[in-house]
Amino acid sequence: MVMGRREFLSCAAGALTVALPNRRWPSHGGGASAVVLLDLAEHCSLRESIVGYALASAGLVSHRPLLIVPAAVAIPGAAMYRITNCLRAGGTVLLESGAGFAGESRFRAHRDAVQNGWQVRIERPRPKSRDIPYIDYVWPYATKIRDFSRVVPLAVQPGEIIARADGHPVALTRRVERGTLIYLGSPLGPALWAGDAEARQWLSRLFSL
Amino acid sequence: MKKSIGDNMIPKDWGFERGLELVKRAGFDGIELWLGDVPWFQMTTTDAQVRELRRKVESAGLFVSNVSTGLHWGTPLSARDPSVRAQAARIVERQIETAGLLGTDAILVVAGLVTEEVPYNEVYQRCVDALKPLGEKAARAGVKVGCENCNSEQRFLISPREFAQFLNDVNSPAVGIHLDVGNIHDTGFAEQWIEIHGPRITRMHLKDVLKHRGRSGDQSVYTNLFLGDNNWPAIRAALTKVGYDGWLIAEMEARYRFAPDQQFYDTSQAMDRLISGKL
Repeated sequence: MVMGRREFLSCAAGALTVALPNRRWPSHGGGASAVVLLDLAEHCSLRESIVGYALASAGLVSHRPLLIVPAAVAIPGAAMYRITNCLRAGGTVLLESGAGFAGESRFRAHRDAVQNGWQVRIERPRPKSRDIPYIDYVWPYATKIRDFSRVVPLAVQPGEIIARADGHPVALTRRVERGTLIYLGSPLGPALWAGDAEARQWLSRLFSL
Repeated sequence: MKKSIGDNMIPKDWGFERGLELVKRAGFDGIELWLGDVPWFQMTTTDAQVRELRRKVESAGLFVSNVSTGLHWGTPLSARDPSVRAQAARIVERQIETAGLLGTDAILVVAGLVTEEVPYNEVYQRCVDALKPLGEKAARAGVKVGCENCNSEQRFLISPREFAQFLNDVNSPAVGIHLDVGNIHDTGFAEQWIEIHGPRITRMHLKDVLKHRGRSGDQSVYTNLFLGDNNWPAIRAALTKVGYDGWLIAEMEARYRFAPDQQFYDTSQAMDRLISGKL
């Protein structure tokens, strides 16, 4: 798939159903699939994360529908619908938390959205240890990627833990309906934006699954 | 070339007006105003109060050479937290606004800080991204943004060619370098920085540096002109070579322990010697 087929959607709160046709996710039969970068507008806390995913995914091919939601804080209803729709269609959703630097009320909005939407239970953001500035990923392959100062830790819950920070789980993958949800409690987008080689390799591997 | 000195050098208990009298008596032509570093010039200082500062400066027979700030050390344009970055940009915007009110056309910005936490690649890209729109704003206001080379403290843009590449990437005629000849330490030679940056130099900070000693705890490596390791004849020759004829601004980190006003006279006379070339 080339960039021309990629979709970049703006999803301001409540505007999605107005701004976009109510399209179906394409079935995937081994060829290239749609990749959607969902811009939550004011609910995306790190604009550089959007840019990072856009830059890093240029030229990559995904073999299944992939919805990327960078630096999410609150998740408006229209975006919730979009994410759920993708999962039901058997696609993969990469949901990146942008709550690390969010204030208390914005964190609560994020926590409630991911818990009510997909039963992902998270803890309050906290600073990452400065001793070793990396997140340890074990999936889709083992690698170390630059942290982003603050992490949103995960509570004990179903799903496969795919990354840890200071030994605490900060990312998971889980089957949801027919699809796969990937939740990142430490944003990857800024590292992609800054040209971090390991971050780009990680995304590339995700696309190739 | 004209001589200036920072208002943050004014002894704390002197006040602005008395400090201006000292600056004038010592032979300076202008004063550098430090936003956020002195009680009379804060982010909360109103436009009317800024105009009053200008009136006082001009009444003392001086000009404002430029608007600097130390606020970016705690609130850098390169911060990961978007709210900190927004505040950092607001500081630059206020510098631009006040430069216009004060009748000067240059500001100093410490563009970014590389730390253990925030790595070089992020800092570089964030600063480029931040300075592009700020450069446009500065250009509209007729102000130049001078990014200071704080080589050792910033751990950023350590070499003159790298700094030049950074300015190329920002690609704004309103964004240049506020060159501090004392900040280069043992990472290079001030005269080479002057040669490489020439027309992009917006202002110059003068101080001397004990480049072979290094910082020991809180012991300063900076010292008064001609006491350190800078090659001042070479610096003077480089200024002539590139045709720099702008403001030279004294920035002394160490203060005289006694007779603090004497430092103003001594510094002014040393700057006269530098300008005259009799070294």
